[in-house]
Amino acid sequence: MSAFSAAAGGQRRIRKIQLLALLPVSIAAVVNCGYQYLSVLAADPGRASDDLRSNLAAGLGASYQEPGFYDWIAAGLAHFLPMLLLALVIGGFWERIIAAQRKRALESGFIPIALLLTLMLPGSAPFSHIVYGMSFAILLGKGIFGGDGKTFISPALLGVAIVQVSFPSAAVQHPLWQGLAGYSGSDAIARFHRGGEAALGEAGIDLWSAFIGNISGTLGTTSLLAVGLGAALLLSARIIAWRLLLAQFIGLAVVATLFNLSGSAEGAAAMPAYWHLLLGSFAFGAVFIACDPFASCCTTPGRWIQGFLIGALVVLIRVANSTHPDAVIPAMLLASITAPLIDHAVIAWNIRQRGRRHV
Amino acid sequence: MVGSVDLETKTVTTVALLGPDYRRFSFELLCEVGDEVKAGVALMRDARRPKVRLVAPAAGRISRVERGARRKLLSLQIDVDDSLGVARYEAPSDNEGSVLRSFMFESGAWSSLRTRPFGNIPHPDAEPAAIFVTALDTAPFAPDPRPIIDAWFDEFKAAVYTLEKISAAPVYLCHAPDHPLAIEDSDRVRKVAFSGGDSAGLPGVHINALCPIGFAGGEVWHIGYQDVIALGHLLLRGTPWLQRVISIAGSAVKNPRSLLVPPGADIDELLVDELTDSPNRIIAGAPIYGRAPAPGQEFLAAGQRQITIQARSADETEIPPETAGVLIPGDRLEQVAPPGIYPVPLMRALQLGDAERARELGALELVEEDVAPLTHACISNNDYGLLLRNVLDQLEAGR
Repeated sequence: MSAFSAAAGGQRRIRKIQLLALLPVSIAAVVNCGYQYLSVLAADPGRASDDLRSNLAAGLGASYQEPGFYDWIAAGLAHFLPMLLLALVIGGFWERIIAAQRKRALESGFIPIALLLTLMLPGSAPFSHIVYGMSFAILLGKGIFGGDGKTFISPALLGVAIVQVSFPSAAVQHPLWQGLAGYSGSDAIARFHRGGEAALGEAGIDLWSAFIGNISGTLGTTSLLAVGLGAALLLSARIIAWRLLLAQFIGLAVVATLFNLSGSAEGAAAMPAYWHLLLGSFAFGAVFIACDPFASCCTTPGRWIQGFLIGALVVLIRVANSTHPDAVIPAMLLASITAPLIDHAVIAWNIRQRGRRHV
Repeated sequence: MVGSVDLETKTVTTVALLGPDYRRFSFELLCEVGDEVKAGVALMRDARRPKVRLVAPAAGRISRVERGARRKLLSLQIDVDDSLGVARYEAPSDNEGSVLRSFMFESGAWSSLRTRPFGNIPHPDAEPAAIFVTALDTAPFAPDPRPIIDAWFDEFKAAVYTLEKISAAPVYLCHAPDHPLAIEDSDRVRKVAFSGGDSAGLPGVHINALCPIGFAGGEVWHIGYQDVIALGHLLLRGTPWLQRVISIAGSAVKNPRSLLVPPGADIDELLVDELTDSPNRIIAGAPIYGRAPAPGQEFLAAGQRQITIQARSADETEIPPETAGVLIPGDRLEQVAPPGIYPVPLMRALQLGDAERARELGALELVEEDVAPLTHACISNNDYGLLLRNVLDQLEAGR
């Protein structure tokens, strides 16, 4: 039977679909990163710094005076490509060492990890952070557990989380997590925290711009539209579990609405569910990180529980802890760690039911 | 009263009994190579349970007995010679359970019952918690059971009432919703309609819905509709039913259709002039649930209702280049998993050969065919049917 399995070679096919699903967010990342960069330069040309990415953007001919589509793409690629290439080189380096050590074939899992990690960092992330995050992602997130398919946290998530906890000042005060270095005030959720919807309006953020992703933020996470396209592909190929995805949205909506209805709703507590969905990296994380088949529950009831937990935790941390305005990374880390526990409880229940049968 | 359907009949020159169809059976031959036997005569019995017998699927001369490792019986082949006649069995006039059971032992009909857990022939003295008659077939390309049951309805009905009497357990008649059987419901005979996907016709699904297996150590029995007709034939006419309806289908078949063939017929003979010239692979059973017959075992298996022959490209190797991938959890597995089973934990337990864990997760409810769709949907190249059987063998030894 297995010798004729139609799914033979399925692993390569799944990897291809995963990368293809990340294509819309990557395109959105490039265009928006370039757009944000050139907008800031146009407002204050003196802020152009003398680093690789700025020079590359200038070298590619990206002009901030009346920028057009080409300029956005050129400036965006100047930021995105060096980061991605560096992440790939670091990932490939460690994979090669692991493969040599274990005398196994090189695994290709580092490619989507590098892409995911890059997309979860801002376009201004220092290269050292990429080296650091990617090394942790491959070694601690994947290597020590035995490689592809044996992880229990999404390695890219672990890499980003390690960067975030290791450089908390960069994450909170330095605008590392807030769009392009030095250019953007603070991220959209922090704005809402301070001044509600009016503060979003001041920064030029409306529902439409947040939907297509034309706002500052980490590279790949701003566009709900692009994330939605990727999700549609992953869902139609049945690579991610729709229940897990839906449960996350339900958890987010329910808890956000509860906070809205509570008497003293202010700051992020007053943020309606749709803003929770549109701002920050929740949608991106929900589709590409939380639905990682190896790092999420593997039973159907477990998926409902874990999904709800993620959505609820994101809102809870956003409301309760303004130093983590985005909250997606800690929430998903926590939920990933609880996945085996949730599965264990579900299976124990299943076994109990089976034990009650009379045959 | 003579049942018939409008189907082409194919005859063959060789038929066989296949050893692997009868698990846990210690074959004791009651005949020798060269013997000429009537159809329906006992050829073998189980050395440990001598009442359980296997009978000749056709009249003829015993031409070959093949044995494999540890002298395990692989096949017993018969060169068909219809002139030798048919054995007669006197149907009991008594309706008592023990008498009916004896009739089933003598005539070989007992060997078409299967237990769950494990899928063995039931012990002659065992009492099931329920008996399941599988009167539907939802596998792709399978022959439609409706006209077959309708054509031999008297036999079918007589056998159902006999099954009712051989134990105190309820008899569940699992049928398709659009095929209401003209049999009265009683407290012992209960009709239940099943519909759904390709797996709706699996006994495992019916058992899970009506009398699920837990850890209490009991068992249920199931039997396919054609074996029920065969039992009815013995009861009503005193002779074995020497026909089975099978379908031949698949992309390499010129004219896919149902056929009336002898039980145990040589598959190669059945397929003469039926196939296109392209390279093909033969699957005993339905596309996902069946498997390629082992070399030397190219005969219809017990209870087999279809042969699938798929074309394959000439350069396609039988072993895919990518081996031993990882198990990727996902919705697809849940969709094809047997009901009430969490596929990923079970598949992991099977991969590890962790029999106790697999038992807790429901392995006793399953046999190979139930997990065949998991093998198909999982990219790890594990054959969960084989892994499950390893685990079941361990569990059975521990009972």
